[in-house]
Amino acid sequence: MKSKLVLYAFAAIGMLSGGSVCGQSYAVTNAKIVTVSGATIEKGTVVVRDGLIQAVGANAAVPADAQVFDGNGLTVYPGFIDSLSNLGLAPRAVQAAGPVGGGGGGQAAAAAAAAAAATPSNSNYPAGLRPEYATLEDIRAGDAQFESARNAGFTTALSTGRTGIFTGQSVLINLAGDNVSVMTVKSPVAMNVAFVTIPGQYPGSLLGTFSALRQMFNDAKRHDQLLKMYAQDPRGMRRPADDKSLEALIPVVNGQMPVILVANRENEIERALNLAKEYNLKAIIAGGQDAGKFIGRLKSQNVPVLLSMNFPKRTAAASPDADPESLDLLRFRAEVPKVAGKLAAAGVKFAFQNGGAADVNDFVAAAVKSTENGLSKDAAIKAMTLAPAEIFGVSDRMGSIETGKIANLTVVRGDLFSAQKTVTHVFVDGKPFEIKAPEVPAGRGPGGRGQGAGAGTGGGANPSALPSVGGTYSINIAAPGQALTGTLTLTQQSGQLTGSMTTDLGSGPIRDGKVTQNGFSFAGSVNFGGQSIDFTVQATVTGNTFSGTVDSPQGAIPISGTKNP
Amino acid sequence: MKRVFTLFAFLMVLTAFAASLTAQSRGEVLIKNATVMTAVRGTLEGTDILIRDGKIVRIGKGLTAAAGAVTFDATGKYVTPGIIDAHSHTMLSAINEGSLAVTSMTDVKEMLDPTDITIYRALAGGVTSALLLHGSANPIGGQSATVKFKWGRPAADYIIPDAPPGIKFALGENVKRSSQTQTQPGQTFRYPRTRMGTMEVIRDAFRRARDYKQAWDDFRAKKTKIPPRVDEELQPLVEVIEGKRLVHCHGYRSDEHLNILKIAEEFGFRIGTLQHALEAYKIAPEVAKHGAGASIFADSWSYKLEAYDNTPYNAYMLWKAGVVVSINSDSDERMRRLNLDAAKTMKYGGVPEEEALKMITLNPAKQLGIDKRTGSIEQGKDGDIVIWNMHPFSPYSHPEVTMIEGEVFFDIGRDKLNRQVLAKEREELEKLEVNRAPGSGGTPPARPAERRVAERDEADRGEIGGNNQ
Repeated sequence: MKSKLVLYAFAAIGMLSGGSVCGQSYAVTNAKIVTVSGATIEKGTVVVRDGLIQAVGANAAVPADAQVFDGNGLTVYPGFIDSLSNLGLAPRAVQAAGPVGGGGGGQAAAAAAAAAAATPSNSNYPAGLRPEYATLEDIRAGDAQFESARNAGFTTALSTGRTGIFTGQSVLINLAGDNVSVMTVKSPVAMNVAFVTIPGQYPGSLLGTFSALRQMFNDAKRHDQLLKMYAQDPRGMRRPADDKSLEALIPVVNGQMPVILVANRENEIERALNLAKEYNLKAIIAGGQDAGKFIGRLKSQNVPVLLSMNFPKRTAAASPDADPESLDLLRFRAEVPKVAGKLAAAGVKFAFQNGGAADVNDFVAAAVKSTENGLSKDAAIKAMTLAPAEIFGVSDRMGSIETGKIANLTVVRGDLFSAQKTVTHVFVDGKPFEIKAPEVPAGRGPGGRGQGAGAGTGGGANPSALPSVGGTYSINIAAPGQALTGTLTLTQQSGQLTGSMTTDLGSGPIRDGKVTQNGFSFAGSVNFGGQSIDFTVQATVTGNTFSGTVDSPQGAIPISGTKNP
Repeated sequence: MKRVFTLFAFLMVLTAFAASLTAQSRGEVLIKNATVMTAVRGTLEGTDILIRDGKIVRIGKGLTAAAGAVTFDATGKYVTPGIIDAHSHTMLSAINEGSLAVTSMTDVKEMLDPTDITIYRALAGGVTSALLLHGSANPIGGQSATVKFKWGRPAADYIIPDAPPGIKFALGENVKRSSQTQTQPGQTFRYPRTRMGTMEVIRDAFRRARDYKQAWDDFRAKKTKIPPRVDEELQPLVEVIEGKRLVHCHGYRSDEHLNILKIAEEFGFRIGTLQHALEAYKIAPEVAKHGAGASIFADSWSYKLEAYDNTPYNAYMLWKAGVVVSINSDSDERMRRLNLDAAKTMKYGGVPEEEALKMITLNPAKQLGIDKRTGSIEQGKDGDIVIWNMHPFSPYSHPEVTMIEGEVFFDIGRDKLNRQVLAKEREELEKLEVNRAPGSGGTPPARPAERRVAERDEADRGEIGGNNQ
């Protein structure tokens, strides 16, 4: 009898955690409701059932079975959307099956080889130039990884891979759910392109990146043409080679599938817009921090912008010996907060995205800063809700608080645009998450940087099981064309790491240092070419050596090190 | 408060200048009473030049301009055509695609960075046009850009619309050296690793281009049913064979120069310029017979093994043999002193003054195929003009005004004023929170910048995506 009861209890838990809330109804009453699509309701009720918004209004009836949240003093917004991220993807996997022992160089090569082997493909194109890659394939299920994003009020994100020129066909996911099918809102949303290089092969420079893309677009057009000819009459014609890479590009060159082009600075945006025009692409600019200089072209080419909320600020320490920063850079930092206001005033469609910021809370802070620099608060909220939904073609199902739309809600105490605000709840697909006030920084940053298969509880759970990684390492970073050497000093305190890294590019402290099951991870910044570049390091420790990857917006490069005795 | 007012006043002045600039490009510009070195019809004393809508409309004495024209009193000053640098890598965000031996699909026109301060510095040295080339890492490099330095304008405005397209070739040590660079551990070396391999790569590429052209000709003549692919690599080489695209071939040794001339003749086209060409004096008659130009340094050699057998008389000997010679910089720094490099050709061998001036004006214009519009001071040509404080071949000379199509892009007086405006702006910007150094910690400070970037013949060096690395 008792065992039967336990069984029932398990079944009930299973049903709940299965994502389908089984008719469970919730109501937030007496709250201010910012619908975004319509007028704001100063005091009203939102009713959620079955993952959808069942009713909204000043006098919406509260169902008898609803769990009621008293919304007095609270504001309900549509769930915030991060319009470009890596959420749901594992932190870059470093294959643990590396060789034991061996020199640092060998390990770096092994790590590179492992990374290449991790994506087996019979494509005719090298890794990085494979547009057929669907990000969806690598999205992981589970709520825990999204905790920090939800805590900041985000319920939805567009996600794409981190590496390559084609970073992946992006997927729009809701930030909770026990299986990927349930989490997925739309896939693919767009073809995502970053103008990067493929170290060690063609294209190895920005010059080549553009010509390689151009050739693939040409070939995709021809492939489409040949497939149609063959379908019409295969006799007397050699069958067109089966090419999944080119096939994936056909909807792109035909202007059906949007292309998200990563371009931040003036030159980058100019190049991206030129390419879009030449191939008549349905382009979306991502980053866009110099987009204020391209208002006319963005409008005439009808190109929306996914504006980075990772606002630049000086990170370099003061030094009497250093060159003064360029006027161009000083101006850039001053102008970035004004860009959203300019785009809004000109009627260019735009949405906000995290721009690779280390801390998701910086996203909302930057959005607030935009409102202090010419953007209306309404427009700022829209850029995190309805605007991305429109750009991604899902505004019929999300992005505003309307009856029948997906029940993604963000509930905030206090004014979103003031310092005294607290996200109290988010609803993801109708499932409520209560936000516990002061958050232990378990999984900062995009992707949650959670602990892989673990429960995402950070490093504190079982410190005795963690390896001891403290010490001073001689390190080797296989940067393309120029190997960097240096020193890494790590001080371990249970699961946390502090220390510093010194390379040919200078030295600096590490951030967010953590000991993982088989190694460690940390973040840092280097100053390169006058700009501060953030990076993260994931490493696997074997005896006195480690190997891993340095991940930055410039791409991933192998790192290895040996502990100094 | 006072400071704010001063800043405001400066900005007003600046705005007024900007307004006069735009007005001027549409209207008339009159340069009065100058010593005009025309680079084609001798030096004219006490002469006026009238520019209307960007073109030189009259050259003579006692000219008058319409009301509202911008007038420069050039009494006691020298005027030359704008200098043209036939070998530069300035304002490029990437220079080399070194991964493959043939990278004709790449195009430096896409890499223009109009915010590069070296452009303004070149203007301050009297340079108005340049040939921007891909690096020398591969036998067949990328497509080139022929530009005017319209500082402050978007990249597209820099490109001279009717300039014939070009492409970079390279022979010798740089190609060999680049083939031996491993950018990734364990990576196989690139072919070719010898000078003979380099020639084979070029010949092979043109054979492929010929086949490609044939395939398209057959398709257009409806002899075949399946459309050939649009090949970004071979298309530019077809244009070379058809004489529509100029080849600018980097090289040092005379045997290699002869080889590349031979390959060109084999495929029925003409080499546009031999670049660097330190040993071209040995084969001057052959170069003249082929019709190639030579774009060389005035007196720079011995910086690597294949660059030893040179002489500063190279320019003189080539000129004597009837070769169109230009003196180039291949350097962001040397570009600002091309007037002095031209003067050196007078010292070594005694090139006449006007011929020496031509080597940095009309001759590079001919080599780039833009001599119909620029390169000399003639009626009907673009108003690309430099006003010098004294004879430009004096080491004490410097440009006072540099204009392109009648529009002033450098003015030494305005530059002085600008410095104060910019210093004020910097002061205000540095006060902003985002521009302040963190109180403690932070990333290491920016290292002092490399002062001499893209120095001569280093354009095969690795590309990390930076500017002029």
